[in-house]
Amino acid sequence: MVAPSPDAGKPLVILPRPLYPEFAAALDGRFRFVLAADADEGNAAEARAVLVPALTPVSADLVARLPKLEIVVATSTGVDHIDLDACRRRGISVTNAGEVFAPDVADYAVGLVVAVLRRVAAAEAYLRRGRWVADGDYPLATKVSGKRVGIVGLGSIGGLVARRLAAFGCVIAYNSRSPKASAPYKFYPSVRELAAESDVLVLSCALTEETRRMVGREVMEALGKGGVLVNVGRGGLVDEAELVRCLREGVLGGAGLDVYENEPEVPPELWGMDNVVLSDHRAVITPESIQGVVDIVKANLDAFFSGKPLVSQVQL
Amino acid sequence: MDSLGVLLVAPMNAYLEQELDRRCRLFRLWESPADRRDDYLRAHASSIRAVVPYAPHGVDAAMIDALPSLEIVSSYSVGIDRVDLDACRRRGVRVTNTPDVLTDDVADLAVGLAIAALRKIPQADRYVRAGKWKSKGDFTLTTRFSGKRVGILGLGRIGLAVAKRAEAFDCPISYHSRSEKPFPKYKFYPNVVDLAANCDVLVVACSLNPETHHIVNRKAIDALGPEGVLINIARGAHVDEPELISALLEKRLGGAGLDVFEDEPFAPEQLFELDNVVLVPHVGSDTEETCRAMADLFSGKRVGIIGLGRIGLAVAKRVEAFDCPVNYYQRTKQDHPGYTYYPSVAELAASSDVLVVACPLNEHTRHIVNREVMEALGPRGVLINIGRGPHVDETAMVAALADGRLGGAGLDVFEDEPNVPEALLGMDNVVLVPHVGSATHETRTAMADLVLGNLEAHVAGKPLLTQVV
Repeated sequence: MVAPSPDAGKPLVILPRPLYPEFAAALDGRFRFVLAADADEGNAAEARAVLVPALTPVSADLVARLPKLEIVVATSTGVDHIDLDACRRRGISVTNAGEVFAPDVADYAVGLVVAVLRRVAAAEAYLRRGRWVADGDYPLATKVSGKRVGIVGLGSIGGLVARRLAAFGCVIAYNSRSPKASAPYKFYPSVRELAAESDVLVLSCALTEETRRMVGREVMEALGKGGVLVNVGRGGLVDEAELVRCLREGVLGGAGLDVYENEPEVPPELWGMDNVVLSDHRAVITPESIQGVVDIVKANLDAFFSGKPLVSQVQL
Repeated sequence: MDSLGVLLVAPMNAYLEQELDRRCRLFRLWESPADRRDDYLRAHASSIRAVVPYAPHGVDAAMIDALPSLEIVSSYSVGIDRVDLDACRRRGVRVTNTPDVLTDDVADLAVGLAIAALRKIPQADRYVRAGKWKSKGDFTLTTRFSGKRVGILGLGRIGLAVAKRAEAFDCPISYHSRSEKPFPKYKFYPNVVDLAANCDVLVVACSLNPETHHIVNRKAIDALGPEGVLINIARGAHVDEPELISALLEKRLGGAGLDVFEDEPFAPEQLFELDNVVLVPHVGSDTEETCRAMADLFSGKRVGIIGLGRIGLAVAKRVEAFDCPVNYYQRTKQDHPGYTYYPSVAELAASSDVLVVACPLNEHTRHIVNREVMEALGPRGVLINIGRGPHVDETAMVAALADGRLGGAGLDVFEDEPNVPEALLGMDNVVLVPHVGSATHETRTAMADLVLGNLEAHVAGKPLLTQVV
């Protein structure tokens, strides 16, 4: 008698690209993983689940190749890299990382707000280059406490940003698709109106067709020359070429950016600016967040294959 | 002030320098070579009646001795650890500082540095600007800030402001100070090593004195450990810097966010190449030194608020965080079931330890705090006026304070601003805050104005605004 394959009977999961080691280790032995590029017709006919590492695109073509597909498990909060129309048409469920990234992204947003207003990165570079000794005190920066902060998207991340900055004595207002009854902050029905009443605008909303490039010249002009834009959402929320122009022309006071339109491309014009703080889409990269997303992915896959309710389903 | 000779010890603020130059006879000490300064002081000794120092550039006994005409030291800082107060006292030289205008700035930076250090924000900025994201890829693992145990050395006003911010990140707060404070939410440790051993982020926010010099020593650093992060926004000399450097180099300490250094503007160059430190050139401003009593006045006490309007409610909300029962008086009862209403100010005062005036000034509220109300508040009671000076019968208040019929007062406003009753200046049971603004550029301007105001008051023979000595 031939020993059965150790994987036989385990549910098949299609991967658009290889798993990170943390995922591979945590999910080891529970599923049969097959790369989308390596999937044969048998795999394609059988597959009911796709697991999406990072922001790898899930195209309508991939969805069409998998006739039995029922679930796409994302490892991010935003699911703009997945063709949601294709999923909606086929009744395919999509799950995301739920709220596991929210504390880290909110912390990072607050860190960027302080870093831009108080010039932490530029003052750091000044000191490390020996200029404190050579050129004297670093110029004055801008106060954080008491600033009016507008938050675009008061979801789990935006809500935590609001709570944190409120403790800094900042005045919080927000824009979202609709006012939140439970939010003790002032609602503005448009991003432009919110920007006009804010010193700092924090973007923490999902990227959708409605929100793509929602921050254009008009919004930046409303935010104004003392205003600061902080983006921890998606690069596509901002008209990046216009952002560079507004910063160069002094239309906008400063920016803290963790995300860009064409990552890892960052407009080189920004590299020389002292009023911006740049980072490499790292807001979620802590051990706690990684453990959190591993857990929620495992929970969604287990729930799906055992016919239980999904843990973090996205409303399509 | 045309005739007032003012010695500015170092360039500190362009606005201050410009105003001093316009209003006084200004001497710029830094313009003479370091080895010729004694000659410079001798040459102008008879003209210099005022010295304006600031945190890193103080006034020592030798300088005081060299200036026989010196009458006032008006420091452009909160901390006056570099001013020889004993020498000033002996010579009868008056000393002023700029209290409380910096609390928020320093607390904001403390939390900003903690996030920057744990999440490596400046490192990310350098990485992206060097074009390395594209060439080397991403995925630099950093450490979460939310939920980390934050230990605070010194729970004065700045320490409390740091605590309030860190709480919003769900960080458990603990602290060490000379004595335990009435904040049940915050855990007290009787020594710094125990505090360091029980926190992830240690924030130094105490004042510098012989007891706190090198309070963060090797033992404290080792207790904080290889996962711990030290944030210093107070004074460089709080930390044994060579021990800090070796701990960072040997990875016995996880990281550091430093705004202050032992020998400014020289920051230890061994740290420049390290990626686990965030170093900024003393941009947080100075530590609080004088007004730590303010918050202690409130905690756990019954607080009575006159006028439950916007400001009154804001006060109520804040003091609730200090576990204070809130009472109030207003002409009509308000819909705030959590707060106890009293139909008269005297009844309110009789049931309160701290009475806060926060109502608008009109003919009904002029002298609303009169002798009767102060008697009701009593010898252990404290009056806080953040409304308008004329809310309080100032003459009656001065008498009540002088006789011990009223316990103390915290005053931001006065009947005849900028005149402050001279009798108050000698009392150590009052905290006097002259109308000062906020915002960083604005804060500095306010500080400069305090310096100018103190000098002006001195020349005009008026009471000083923020006298320390």
